[in-house]
Amino acid sequence: MTEPGYTPSPEQAAETGTLAARIALKQRAGGIVVPIVTVVIAFLMGGLVVLATGHNPLLAYRAIFNGAGLNWIFHPTTSMASTASYNLSQTLLQTTTLILCGLAVAFAFRCGMFNIGGQGQYFVGFFVANWLGVDFASMSPLPHILIAVGAATLAGALWAGIAGVLKASVGAHEVITTIMLNWIAIWIGEWLVADGGPLQNSSQPFNPSSNPVSSSAELPVFWGSHTLGGLDVGIFVALAAVVLFWALLNRTTLGYEVRAVGFNPDAAAYGGINVRKNIVRAMAISGAFAGLAGALDMLGYLYGFSQNDIPLSQVGFLGIAVALLGRNTAVGTLLGAVLFGALLFGTTHGLTGNVIQPELAGNLTYIIQGLVVLFVGADVLILYVWNSRKRLRPARSASAAGAS
Amino acid sequence: MSDDHVLEMRNIRKEFPGVVANDGVSFDVRRGEVHALLGENGAGKSTLMNILYGLYRPDGGEILIQGKRVSFSSARDAIEAGIGMVHQHFMLIPVMTVAENIVLGVEPRDGLLLDERGAERRVRDLSERFGLAVSPSALVSEITVGQEQRVEILKALYRGADVLILDEPTAVLTPQEARELFEIVESLKADGKSIIFISHKLNEVLEIADRITVLRRGRTIETVPREGATEESLARAMVGRDVLLRVEKTKSDPGDVLLAVEGLEVRDDRGIEKVRGMTFDVRAGEIVGIAGVDGNGQTELIEAITGLRKAESGTITVASEPMHGANARRMLDAGVGHIPEDRQRRGLVLEFSIAENIALHDYAKEPDAKWGWLFPRRLVERARSLIREYDVRGGGPLTRAGGLSGGNQQKVVAAREISRDPKVLIAAQPTRGLDVGAIEYLHRRLVAERDRGRAILLVSLELEEILSLSDRILVLYEGQIAGAHEGTVSEEEIGLEMLGGREEKVA
Amino acid sequence: MSNTWVDRLDNPASARLRDPAFTGYVGIFLGAFAAFLAIPPIEARTTTWPILVGVVGAIFGIWTVTRGRRRVGWGAVAAGILGLALGILATRSGTGNLHTVFDPTLIAQTFGFATPLVFGAIAGMISERSGVINIGLEGMMLMGAFWGVYGADRGGTWAVGLVVGAVLGGLLALVYAYFAIHLRADQIVGGTAVNFLALGITGYFFVQLYHNQPVPNGVSTLPNLKIPGLSGLHFFGPAIGDLNILIWAGFVLVIVAYVVLFRTPIGLRIRACGEHPRAADTVGINVYAIRYACVGVSGVLAALGGVYLSEGSQGNGTFIFDMTNGRGFIALAAMIFGNWRPAGAFGAALLFGFSNALALRLQVYSASASTLFNVLPYVLTLIAVAGVIGRTVPPAADGKPYRKQ
Repeated sequence: MTEPGYTPSPEQAAETGTLAARIALKQRAGGIVVPIVTVVIAFLMGGLVVLATGHNPLLAYRAIFNGAGLNWIFHPTTSMASTASYNLSQTLLQTTTLILCGLAVAFAFRCGMFNIGGQGQYFVGFFVANWLGVDFASMSPLPHILIAVGAATLAGALWAGIAGVLKASVGAHEVITTIMLNWIAIWIGEWLVADGGPLQNSSQPFNPSSNPVSSSAELPVFWGSHTLGGLDVGIFVALAAVVLFWALLNRTTLGYEVRAVGFNPDAAAYGGINVRKNIVRAMAISGAFAGLAGALDMLGYLYGFSQNDIPLSQVGFLGIAVALLGRNTAVGTLLGAVLFGALLFGTTHGLTGNVIQPELAGNLTYIIQGLVVLFVGADVLILYVWNSRKRLRPARSASAAGAS
Repeated sequence: MSDDHVLEMRNIRKEFPGVVANDGVSFDVRRGEVHALLGENGAGKSTLMNILYGLYRPDGGEILIQGKRVSFSSARDAIEAGIGMVHQHFMLIPVMTVAENIVLGVEPRDGLLLDERGAERRVRDLSERFGLAVSPSALVSEITVGQEQRVEILKALYRGADVLILDEPTAVLTPQEARELFEIVESLKADGKSIIFISHKLNEVLEIADRITVLRRGRTIETVPREGATEESLARAMVGRDVLLRVEKTKSDPGDVLLAVEGLEVRDDRGIEKVRGMTFDVRAGEIVGIAGVDGNGQTELIEAITGLRKAESGTITVASEPMHGANARRMLDAGVGHIPEDRQRRGLVLEFSIAENIALHDYAKEPDAKWGWLFPRRLVERARSLIREYDVRGGGPLTRAGGLSGGNQQKVVAAREISRDPKVLIAAQPTRGLDVGAIEYLHRRLVAERDRGRAILLVSLELEEILSLSDRILVLYEGQIAGAHEGTVSEEEIGLEMLGGREEKVA
Repeated sequence: MSNTWVDRLDNPASARLRDPAFTGYVGIFLGAFAAFLAIPPIEARTTTWPILVGVVGAIFGIWTVTRGRRRVGWGAVAAGILGLALGILATRSGTGNLHTVFDPTLIAQTFGFATPLVFGAIAGMISERSGVINIGLEGMMLMGAFWGVYGADRGGTWAVGLVVGAVLGGLLALVYAYFAIHLRADQIVGGTAVNFLALGITGYFFVQLYHNQPVPNGVSTLPNLKIPGLSGLHFFGPAIGDLNILIWAGFVLVIVAYVVLFRTPIGLRIRACGEHPRAADTVGINVYAIRYACVGVSGVLAALGGVYLSEGSQGNGTFIFDMTNGRGFIALAAMIFGNWRPAGAFGAALLFGFSNALALRLQVYSASASTLFNVLPYVLTLIAVAGVIGRTVPPAADGKPYRKQ
């Protein structure tokens, strides 16, 4: 036997282990209950803020629910249906983006890295999609869309790949590099459409916004009106990405390598796996998801952007909450994206202002998001449950020993 | 004060989940004596000392300092009671100076500021008084291990320690440094300090200690004065019986050379040359054991042979195929199997299932995978048959490896390595931390694999293991082969070579 | 050829010159000087000087590279070429534009932009020196920015704003500290959560209390410190004669932070907790208490940087949604760029502030190109963590939760 004092407990092992190993421990410890409890607590605390500032939280949440179009489920055919279905289609647009941004964060997590740069990778894809969507206007739709989406995805992969290469080659921490890359992407975006910038709207000088993409690059809308920005086929791409994510991780040797490196790089190297290669590759794949999200937003319903839009976009960061809540799994990320997509649209544009103003409720989303990340990341409940279970066991065996 | 006892521990009991580490241990220390605490790994020495130093709270028993009952809830309490501890792993901050490390927590002040000069002066005074030569203004990252240990001792003395616990102090030292340490201990003793000297090396204990307490499986076996104690009597007390591990094996019948190492030189992460020109070979059907004290280049040697570390120079040949600059993948493919010394850090992905762990080397090859597509069911099938064959208990193919006991984890590693049908099998510390049953199983297995014509390189810190399993023994000392033996050889002879030769030993 | 000038350098007296890194630094300096020659007050109007000095700088760089110090050497080559190019650009531009960009108020403006970064960087440094990563600086600054205005508005004076902002920033930091220290949460995740939380809280109460208007008007703001005798001077007057009190406070903070961290017993203990908490624990230092205190102080200081944003001369007593707009992250970058040391962080904050000020002023040349100037802090930090210009070394236990035995 080794000296008992040096035998690490599961928690100690988890603390000293990699990020992925720690997350995995929490997964085993909590199952699906913890994310649900986390969300409930976050909503309760958000509700307290609402209550404290003189609004009725129940009515507010109901309004948000309706604002997200989720009430469509109860009456898909009645007269309420048109507003509700519009709201739902808009919620699903947000969900599309968040699925992909969540997958981006989750994939890097599974390789033991924290990709905090989803926002930058999203923007890079967003800008490239605008550039290629505006150019090649004479092209026929399918190749035009494929080229624009493909290039944007690649751009996201390359952008994240920088962080991967820096980590693999000189050990630069990916959190720091991806934060820096976020802001570099943001300022590049500001520059692209600034007065005289390369993507700036040529017909309107002094207006810091881009040209709209050509109609040949727009994704087909299948639900709702095209002019009002109905739901485009991007959501199917996102759903396909969920399946791809799962298959890639669980059914390919690439996924096996990524998970091995994520859990234990030393053992992976011992197994003959090239750890550095996997760090770069996982980062690039992660960035590809985010770049794809940017492309789908640009070609699916936004079609262009102005300088003012850039600082307002938070989808890359929301992806962190989505992934963490979804425990970095494919299905979990999907569910997390639905929740936050509904919150995002339901608290802003979809919300009717008589219960709680959209401006107020929109910030409620950030509060809830913050609380969710705080609780999920901190596993207050998980470790509590885990510890109390552990505490019971030795106590029982000790009393049994005492009795004998 | 009733007598000259500075410290007494009575009937100390400490339990950890599933283990009783200390079971009614009693122990006392007199003023100005060196009291050795002797016992095998896991005998409960470190637990006892961690209790004395306030790091663990005992479940039963009492501690008396200068005849008064005390209860420590933290290291701070123990320090205030005059107890100092030099941990086996030094608690020093590399980026700070020697003086800063020593005064940390009880800093001399100059107004609101830290009195850096005063600190250095006091440290210099103290180091001169006890003959602990070390430069107060040097950074800890720039001094030697032996000097680091002196800094640790100074740290305790600076805090007014009367009782000094040295936890396996010679484990990290060169013989020369150990020599100097013993002189320091003598001078501390002359100054009236008491020293608790934890060790499992008999010769050291017999040299330095005034009294010796032997622990075994958490219990005090005996406390004897040095006079009259012999290595044999102490050894018997330590292990309890003459348990030379007997492994049934026939005489080896070596065949072709499967692993040849020539002029190998390897550096560690810090650029220090740890393997300094080793040449040896291992033939089919024999076990070559590498004996040596920890840190003499074992890790680097293994890592070089398995492709996990680049060799500085020299050649490695596996089954007549030169493996110059080969990475881990190529070594694996060339038929090198490796049971690593740390199965939890390196040998297994604890979060993976048994099935996934068994596939760790060949996940990308058929039948596990084809064109990058993985077939989990085939992984599970293979794992199921190996679990049966190697008698892995505690779970099925989908059980998380981290949930298995140490012995079963090691069986999973062995199953993976041996089932790949390697030409060369490197077993590093294959039985560390395992219970007797698992040890016996692994030993039998290694001999069986030898008889099937594999070339086995056994690297172990347990001399007994080396002696009972090996057909040939190489002794590793400071990165070089200090001795090679075939046939019967005495433990003493190898022990001497492990320590760098007879001239280093104290008469 | 026995007595070349290189041989003569073997003289021990010029040992410093023989250190290859030194020639590299000379090259970097020359590169910067090449650009400096062409702008006011020297303002050489011929391209000869910038070209000459820039090329010499680059040659020093190449020489350094050949002698083995590749990072510094290539840095000098880059600086030489860059300085040369900028110098040529400056000589080509109109003197009118040059004078708009480079006048003494550029210095005041640099300090103005740098101050929130100074507070943020020192805040981050104190937290990280104790072993807790603080990605939540942005959020803590944002708390200061909003609650500072609120306090000044309700309390009637900027002093109340300063206190209210600092306290709320400190409170958020303590919430984070509880998760990071006691619950041993992942510190990156926790910090990210803090940023979201602050964004939501400040945004929510901004709407609730001020109905999203870019008011309130006439809130008491942080005063400037007019230095008598200096403010009338030709150059120093506009440069430093009339700076905001928090700018001066920032200068003092850097010195205080240095003294506390590196010259006092408590600083030694803080650094011990960040390097080797177990070692600190075994000599009786309360690691948790020190980390709590440091994270709390970190929150207060970051919030003060935020108060400066809204209540200083640029914010002028108004708050806008997400007012910090990444400054917390630039502060983090400045801390890393400054290698977790007060003087380094201060220098980096000044450099980044300078690039912000310059970006604003370069709009006289090109609106879009000047926007691009804002990426400089991030690119430089990326280069710094990539190890091109020397290694940045965080405290050894930074970001690792500590568990008592």
